[in-house]
Amino acid sequence: MKKKFDLTAITKSKLTWAVVAEVLILLVCLIVRPDFFKISYQESTGMLYGSLIDIINRSSEITIIAMGMTLVIALGGTDLSVGALVAVSGAIALKFLRWDVLEYTTPGDYTVCSYALVLIVPLVVCLLMGLFNGLLIAKGGMQPIIATLILMVCGRGIAQILTNGKQFTTGYSPFRVIGQGSFLYLPMPIIITVVVVAAVALFVRKTAFGTFVESVGINRSASRLSGINAQLIIFIVFALTGFLSGISGLIYSSRIMSNDSNNAGLNYEMDAILAVVIGGTSMTGGKFSLAGTVLGSIIIRTIVTLVYYFGIASEATMAFKAMIIAVVIVLQSEPVRNYFSKRAKKRAYAVKGGVI
Amino acid sequence: MAENNLLEMRQIEMTFPGVKALNKVDFTLRAGEIHSLLGENGAGKSTLIKCLTGVNKKDGGTITLEGKEIQPQSPQHAIELGISTVYQEVNLCPNLTVAENIFVGRQPMKHGQIDWKTINRRASELMSRFHLSIDVTRPLSYYSTAIQQMVSIARAVDIQAKILILDEPTSSLDDNEVQLLFDVMNELKKEGMGIIFITHFLDQVFAVSDRLTILRNGQLVGTHKIEDITKVQLVTEMIGKDIDTIFSLKRAEVADGEADMLVATHIGAPEKLEDMSLNVKKGELVGFAGLLGSGRTETAEMLFGATRITKGEIAIDGSKTEIKKPFDALVAGMAFCPEDRKRDGIIGDLSIRENIALAVQARKGFLKPISTKEQNELADKYIKALGIATPDAEKKIGELSGGNQQKVILARWMATNPKVLILDEPTRGIDVGAKAEIQRLMLEMCGEGVSVIFISSELDEIIRCSNRIIIMRDREKVGEVDGETCTQDQILSIIAEGSTAAGGEAS
Amino acid sequence: MSDRSLASRRSLGSRIMNPKYIMIYATIGIFLVMYLFGAISYGAQGFTTLRTITNLFVDNAYYGISAVGMTMVLITGGIDLSVGAVASLTGMFIAYGTTVLGIHPLLCILFSLVVGVGLGLLMGWVIHRLNVPPFITTLTGMFLARGVCALISRESIEIKHEMIDSLASWKIYFMQLKDGEWVKIKPISYINFNVILFIVVLIAGIYILQKTRFGRNVYAVGGNEQSAKLMGLPVGKTKILVYGFNGLCSVLAGVAYALYVKSGWNLSLMGAELDVITCAVIGGTLLTGGVGYMVGTLFGVLLKSMIPALITFNGNLLSWWGKIATGLLLLLFICIQKLVLGVTGRKKTSKTKPIKE
Repeated sequence: MKKKFDLTAITKSKLTWAVVAEVLILLVCLIVRPDFFKISYQESTGMLYGSLIDIINRSSEITIIAMGMTLVIALGGTDLSVGALVAVSGAIALKFLRWDVLEYTTPGDYTVCSYALVLIVPLVVCLLMGLFNGLLIAKGGMQPIIATLILMVCGRGIAQILTNGKQFTTGYSPFRVIGQGSFLYLPMPIIITVVVVAAVALFVRKTAFGTFVESVGINRSASRLSGINAQLIIFIVFALTGFLSGISGLIYSSRIMSNDSNNAGLNYEMDAILAVVIGGTSMTGGKFSLAGTVLGSIIIRTIVTLVYYFGIASEATMAFKAMIIAVVIVLQSEPVRNYFSKRAKKRAYAVKGGVI
Repeated sequence: MAENNLLEMRQIEMTFPGVKALNKVDFTLRAGEIHSLLGENGAGKSTLIKCLTGVNKKDGGTITLEGKEIQPQSPQHAIELGISTVYQEVNLCPNLTVAENIFVGRQPMKHGQIDWKTINRRASELMSRFHLSIDVTRPLSYYSTAIQQMVSIARAVDIQAKILILDEPTSSLDDNEVQLLFDVMNELKKEGMGIIFITHFLDQVFAVSDRLTILRNGQLVGTHKIEDITKVQLVTEMIGKDIDTIFSLKRAEVADGEADMLVATHIGAPEKLEDMSLNVKKGELVGFAGLLGSGRTETAEMLFGATRITKGEIAIDGSKTEIKKPFDALVAGMAFCPEDRKRDGIIGDLSIRENIALAVQARKGFLKPISTKEQNELADKYIKALGIATPDAEKKIGELSGGNQQKVILARWMATNPKVLILDEPTRGIDVGAKAEIQRLMLEMCGEGVSVIFISSELDEIIRCSNRIIIMRDREKVGEVDGETCTQDQILSIIAEGSTAAGGEAS
Repeated sequence: MSDRSLASRRSLGSRIMNPKYIMIYATIGIFLVMYLFGAISYGAQGFTTLRTITNLFVDNAYYGISAVGMTMVLITGGIDLSVGAVASLTGMFIAYGTTVLGIHPLLCILFSLVVGVGLGLLMGWVIHRLNVPPFITTLTGMFLARGVCALISRESIEIKHEMIDSLASWKIYFMQLKDGEWVKIKPISYINFNVILFIVVLIAGIYILQKTRFGRNVYAVGGNEQSAKLMGLPVGKTKILVYGFNGLCSVLAGVAYALYVKSGWNLSLMGAELDVITCAVIGGTLLTGGVGYMVGTLFGVLLKSMIPALITFNGNLLSWWGKIATGLLLLLFICIQKLVLGVTGRKKTSKTKPIKE
């Protein structure tokens, strides 16, 4: 029992800043919009509506990618290719779903192949692209940032070529469900996100995978000498991130029922990295927090919503994002942390002295 | 006080939390002298040098350079005072040219521009002074470590240093290169420079130095003229004979007919280990003696697959095993506590529990997790058995003291129930009590049938614990003695003279 | 004396073969191969004319200007993601200032310089003093600059000012003597203010890197920061100034881009930072720091801009192939770098024996 208490204490201290930030932003939201927390039920769609739900709904794409990005960053790397993979995933799905104007006059439930393929092929392709990243990094010994830069540059080109540079639209209703449908009164993206987060969390925390990732991220040499296959871990993490980008891409394209190789997933890599960093995982690798990342992603989305309430252009949210992030990274920076840890250590010394 | 002393360090004291690293050490250096500084790891050599070069600040004592007291604040300040250091790892920029590495930061300028012609010409002149005719416009990384070492020295010489400190410059050089370095050192000596030379190779000490100073456990053992001391005396003073008998240890008992648990035949790899064969019986403790750089660590790393062998083969428990990576060794039933605990042992930010369970988990693969409950049981068991001083198993290993960290690493491997346990300097840098405890644990494991390979710089603990002792020198096995009947002098003379002279000077 | 001349002659011969230039040779080599390919395939359509080359410069001068600063940042082992946003912000300042507020463009540019260099120095300080990874620091800088852009305006603003107009339309035509008269070369080839600005910045970059102590410190810091510290070099100052210089280059790139499109838009030059980094990497700069040359970067810019040129000449290919080709080029170069580093690394261990005299 005692140990469990300690554990929550540790996670708490890690998430404190993020939680405080989120609460503050929500409070401001409430002041600006008194009905901010109001959630209503709309019978025509069978869905709950409200700002909070919208925030979580809209943060789905980033949250899903950020799950993989957390592991990548815990290993001490970065994955720049995720945004491009989102575009690739959407392009493939729409290639299969395209509604051909010449044959049909109205958009409807038409596909050129079975629905299963529409979902499986994009995910498999993204998984393979993630594996390609992993190959360059684990076997080729390249820096993650350069290795993933390749697909970041190439990816959108591949997406364009797959669709011949055209923007397809579709009216296929099973596909619409992914991004616009609902389940248990909640928008489908939220359900998908919950499932993904739960699955990743289970995989990472209920097997020893998370510990291995942290171990390799903290000290690769010692991990290897303890018998951990560091290369395999790197492979899996990058493949997983690719796969999750694929899921995110499906949600994105289902929302617009179209493919947009230029703008789909634009800057997602940056947002995902930020979500991870705000969530308390250090860019230098090591201990990570999936819960923190989820919160980080929601914070980013809340800022966007808040700024929107003020009537400021959505692009301008970046400036506010930048300021909040600046505060977080300064608080997390080494000199500042050292200052705090020195004080903490002094206290710890006193305690230890008492024990021995 | 001698008048011609270039440098005098008097009563230098230095304390790290919990450890007295230097205890009233005196050291003098004359102009035009090569003075060797000797001692095993942790003796305080590097701490003394760091006080002189301004990396650490001394807690007490005085440093006088040419009669004036100095207080070096930083490496840069020390350089300005005329104290230059050449480190074991070359501290230059590999991407810059040879010439630039000598002059960067103080390039000669002409019309406000860097005067490349002068730089290259002067660099060529400097290198030819060192009998090196190389193209100084090539990047440093293009050349061998020996030449890089020469370039560091050239940089030190060109800034008109009065004192040159060479911190183990020869550990990666071959014989020719060492000779070249010595020629340069002798030339600089003639010019009146004072040189402090740190090395683990005793032959080199005798080949080049005028005087030598020996440190042990942060204390001055003595300063001798080179003519006044023999190698055996030197090694004795370095390693020391004072045996702390807090626990009375009982050597492991091995039956005569016991089968070999580990057999390695003619293993080796280029530039790491020439050739090595050994066998360890079930429940036997084999000690490795030899100075640093003699190949003991390399042997351990090869047995465990941290470095790949290029020849020879390894058999464990009677069956030939191919060990390509540490995981293979782990599966085969081996365990390895590496020498550099911080770099290769601990996962600093993980808890004691996670660190202990790591190797067992690695062997099972991550898909078959050990439940938190089992991990806790494992951790509690070893925290108790090994007496790890911690409030609970969730404390980060990085926050423990050295001795307790070592116990956690030991626990990590004990938890895998190994057949063979390799311990590389498990007792280094930890206090006397913890040292004796680790020795006791080691012998207990032998009693349970584990074969142990024990590497240590401290001869007395090797003699105290080992059934057999393998002696290494110059990346080769040079002798093997029985642990119970051997004497310290016998081993010392083999280390000092090689196998041919064994016993020659021992009397 | 004879000894010395011998030595200098030897170094002259080996200077060309110096292993540190291998990556530049690779870049130039691939550039030539691509040019040759273009010449053979599209010679009839006029690929070999001077115009192709001058257009490469005219259309990509702003990339080139930014790449000069980026190369320097990458040599220190850092990265700067804010360049596109800062350039875009500069364009916005100029457009909004001149068109909406009626301020003289020179004042707008001056203001941009203060902001751009200031932001660069600030980011450098955060990176050095607070030890925040360059990636995160400059990403924040990018968001900040983009956000400010959007705060100013979300519409594309046309720049209307005589000075800008005349500067943008100012051209130097290449002439030839025909029938005793100087006429413009056909097809018309020219260079403009942007190209001259690029060349000036490039030469300044070369001068700084090769002829000043600061420039050499940049290499030393990238080669081994710890060693540089032990050698007594001003590591912190160097790092901070490099980000400041890159800020300057970003602003100049923004000015060049504003002249090129004669408008300011908050979403212009999206993702340009990665194009610029790609140019530098193709030009032989290592992202691990310590290695890189401005000449290489020049060819990197030309090489990267040659790809769209070739696709235009082809006429049938979709422009998207350009991105894929760029990615493949990047992969090719990283592989070459790995190979080259592997070879020189091996040389180091297989001890070159000192030649005794």
